[in-house]
Amino acid sequence: MAGLIESYVRDLKRDLHFDPALAERIAGEVESHLWEAAEAEPGYPSADAERRAIERFGVAREIASRFAADAMARQSRRTWIALLVTTGVTFIAMRLRVLWLGETGDTLSTLLPVIDRYGFVAAIATGMVGWFAFRRSFFPLAICLSALVASITAGIVRAGLFADGAPLHVLLTAAGEIALAGVLAFHVCTLGRGLWRTALLRRIGQ
Amino acid sequence: MLGMEAEMLKGHLDAIVLAALESGPAHGYAIIEAIKSRSGDTFDLAEGTVYPALHRLEEAGLLSSSWVTPPGGRKRRMYSLTRKGTGALAERRRSWGRFSQAVSHLLGGGRTWPA
Repeated sequence: MAGLIESYVRDLKRDLHFDPALAERIAGEVESHLWEAAEAEPGYPSADAERRAIERFGVAREIASRFAADAMARQSRRTWIALLVTTGVTFIAMRLRVLWLGETGDTLSTLLPVIDRYGFVAAIATGMVGWFAFRRSFFPLAICLSALVASITAGIVRAGLFADGAPLHVLLTAAGEIALAGVLAFHVCTLGRGLWRTALLRRIGQ
Repeated sequence: MLGMEAEMLKGHLDAIVLAALESGPAHGYAIIEAIKSRSGDTFDLAEGTVYPALHRLEEAGLLSSSWVTPPGGRKRRMYSLTRKGTGALAERRRSWGRFSQAVSHLLGGGRTWPA
């Protein structure tokens, strides 16, 4: 049967599963710490000495939730950077499309240019509100992503890019914005999952 | 530890950890013992709370760490201040000095602040 320290370390490792490398490293450190603390307790070796060392260390879920909160702060920064880069590239791609369309004219309906333009404007507006008021929140980033995807899709369909033989620089920037939208979607999903997990760890740890 | 002291400690934990490492490299358990001892056991914090702080400081480049196994001993992760960490500690000390002086004036009812 596993001792108290082994069980505690196993629980902590399970709660840190969102980052396997971190879980492995922290588990090793914590185990070493707990054995050292238990050895300093009167009556060691005994289950009581191990229990007292664990009590002083704190609840595993609370420790894990602090690591998760730090990981989310880092993920939030990465997601905002991804949003900034995606927005910049989308703007450039839009301008190049508009310049090109100025020569050839729209190929499809009048609705698509509206979605293309106002989807981008909505992404910028939501991004600015989110950055100043809800920087750690998932929803402004998710709304920005949706608006950008709508704008990019409308822009590409509008221009009939891949059918009408657009020039290379227009195609390349369009490919860049699609790829970056994918990267942004990945970061937004990772942030959403992480925030949900952190909230869950905090609720269970209370 | 009183609730208010616990909250105050949380806000300054990173600086306290940096200060505990000023005298030389140490592992997590030794850092906690140093904090307890230097605070006269006033700051008897949950020991596990130090590890997220250590990891955060290392991510910020203020600490470096490596596994060390002393002869016949247990494997430990040793932390030490980086050059950036030494600078950050000095800056936090200056900032704390200004802050504590201002609060002392406000609470002590002595001279006006700012002087």
